[in-house]
Amino acid sequence: MSVVEERADAPAAEQGQAPRTGRQFGPIRWVPRLMVMGALAYVFLYRIPQDDGGAAAIAADACIYAIVGISLNILIGHTGQLSLGHNGFFGIGAFAAAYSLTVRDVPFALTFVIAGLVGALFALVMGLVALRITGLYLALITLVFALTLEESLFEVEWLTNAGGGQPADRPEWLIDDANFFYFCLAFLVVAVYIDYRLLASKTGRALLALKENERVAEAFGINVTAFKLIAFVLSGTLAGVAGALLAYRIGLVTASGLGFNLALTFVLMTVVGGLGSRLGVVLGASLFASLSFLLEETWMHSVQEFLVGLASFGSEGAKANLEQYAVGFLGALGLLLTIVQFPGGIGQQFRAFFDWTFGKPFDVHALLHPQDDGPGAVEGSSVRA
Amino acid sequence: MSVLEVRDLAIRFGGLQALQGLNLEVNEYEIVGLIGPNGAGKTTAFNCITGFYQPNTGSVSYRGRDVTKAPPHVKAAMGFGRTFQNVGMVKSATAIDNLKTAQHAKAGYDVLSGLVGTSLTSRRERELTAKADAILDLLGLQHIRDKRVGGQSYGTLKLLELGCALATDPDILLLDEPTSGMGPDESDELGDRLLTLRREFALTMLVIEHHVPLVLRVCDHVYVLNFGRLLAEGKPSVIQTHPEVVAAYLGGEAPEALEQTQETEEDAELDRLTGQAAQHHDNPSIAAPELVEPEPSGPARRRRAAAASAAAGSAEERLRPKKRAPRKRPATTEEDESA
Repeated sequence: MSVVEERADAPAAEQGQAPRTGRQFGPIRWVPRLMVMGALAYVFLYRIPQDDGGAAAIAADACIYAIVGISLNILIGHTGQLSLGHNGFFGIGAFAAAYSLTVRDVPFALTFVIAGLVGALFALVMGLVALRITGLYLALITLVFALTLEESLFEVEWLTNAGGGQPADRPEWLIDDANFFYFCLAFLVVAVYIDYRLLASKTGRALLALKENERVAEAFGINVTAFKLIAFVLSGTLAGVAGALLAYRIGLVTASGLGFNLALTFVLMTVVGGLGSRLGVVLGASLFASLSFLLEETWMHSVQEFLVGLASFGSEGAKANLEQYAVGFLGALGLLLTIVQFPGGIGQQFRAFFDWTFGKPFDVHALLHPQDDGPGAVEGSSVRA
Repeated sequence: MSVLEVRDLAIRFGGLQALQGLNLEVNEYEIVGLIGPNGAGKTTAFNCITGFYQPNTGSVSYRGRDVTKAPPHVKAAMGFGRTFQNVGMVKSATAIDNLKTAQHAKAGYDVLSGLVGTSLTSRRERELTAKADAILDLLGLQHIRDKRVGGQSYGTLKLLELGCALATDPDILLLDEPTSGMGPDESDELGDRLLTLRREFALTMLVIEHHVPLVLRVCDHVYVLNFGRLLAEGKPSVIQTHPEVVAAYLGGEAPEALEQTQETEEDAELDRLTGQAAQHHDNPSIAAPELVEPEPSGPARRRRAAAASAAAGSAEERLRPKKRAPRKRPATTEEDESA
């Protein structure tokens, strides 16, 4: 939902992955591009936030999910550590913000710092585990970690207001959903900037090296232990802050919305969006955050209605079921397509348009043959093999 | 003072004594060769020296400092540049990014300022890129600058890997089979290159190499490993004609080794049939225990002595060539017993 702002901040920052064609400057070239930018800015910065039908709140959700997506991408995409427990960091951030604001009367701005710190702390603990365990077993440990949090910390009386949920009221100036969307968007811009800087600096290179081959990374002088922990801490911080935003978005934090389903959604949206691709992760997260809204409230509803009608053969029960699981079904379909056909995810599909918008010539090859190049190419080929 | 000094290095993997009593010394500005048949423990020695393996006993010192326990990344930052036997690089990254990754320890800014993006960071990044480009120019690899490393030919990869090792700004360079995957011409070229690099970067090198002409040309001193022990050492020309080395490599018999270890296929077969093979094959205790190392007096003397004892020890133990020379078979007491 918030692609426009992200674009302003990530000028051709893909670590020299694309061939060095260079931008073609010239006033005429920019006319169509500026029109596209203007249209996007209008839709995402004005049309959606000012919508009466509740689109602003969904757009805020999209921003929050996108921050989580970037957080998860740092772990899975850049560092190669699969986390199925991101709902844990996210939830602990939400509870920390709500608790410190409502119970401890901490100033609003400071609650984000607290949420980030708490998220970082929990992620650090997870990172220490990840130093010893990798791959599937790490994924299982993170899963168990989040499930345990859900059953233990998220049920603690003082934190959860005796199970009734911890209220988190926005300050006066943020009560309007449109304003809150802009607020979340600002956070997303910062998160995107951090991710961009991460890849543009030695840290990103170190993470890629240790993801591929820890021995080589060590031979290059990279402290594998430290940088794994840095990745976890950074990821946990972002997830914690995103959790704080969620707390203010819904106004009441309960454990029920922070279950394993959420972790699964997070991983799905990151993978379908395109691991390693900033653009893709933001798009994927936005899509998953708004999918149920889109299917309910927009023109997509009639499409869904029609397809479900076809698939259920007139049975009312089947129809209700299909409608209920439409989002999950689309997510699974997206994952399948990503793994089998488009290893670069959504980001791969949009890369050519994105680059074109910012001045590069339109790269038809990248669009038609995404497997040849791009962030997902190597992982993709290994999936195919 | 020697740049690298290895004393009594020993490491054991389960039942396999991969290295035993390894002593070696690399002096400033020397190119030292480490040769030996497959499985002799050369790469293991590299891994112990660069900190990837912790030796069971022995020490590694770098310019007089004991660095046995230092982890690999610390050693890399200290000045140990190394390459791997089967190409150690980040395959999905481009050549230029690999060279920048290799400069990690010398990046000159911390993680936080990298994330914030200070002017220092961008200046340093430009410098890192410039240095990476300079290395590409030096190796003549500018044409693969922005290509993924993964798809390149093996020879190119070995060369680029050498570039990466250079990018770590090493003081001592440890090269694991730098010419593997290269043709004879390319290997010769690499020899020139190593000599040039030594001159330009004031490097000290320890090189594992099989390509004999290269070893003869560039190495100042050669250590020969066999079965985890030092078999011989000396000037390349001496090593070339050293009977035991020739035996270990080519399967010819070293005259003095004949006595103890000659064993024909018939014997092996007989041993297998009578089930007594284990008696003298797998028993490490046969390694001459009475061979006591002379008391050390100066590294050079010690080194020679250790080499001698190792050579004698291994000869006695099991200098078992892969292919056998024409048969001449003096029976030994040991084999008489088993027969």
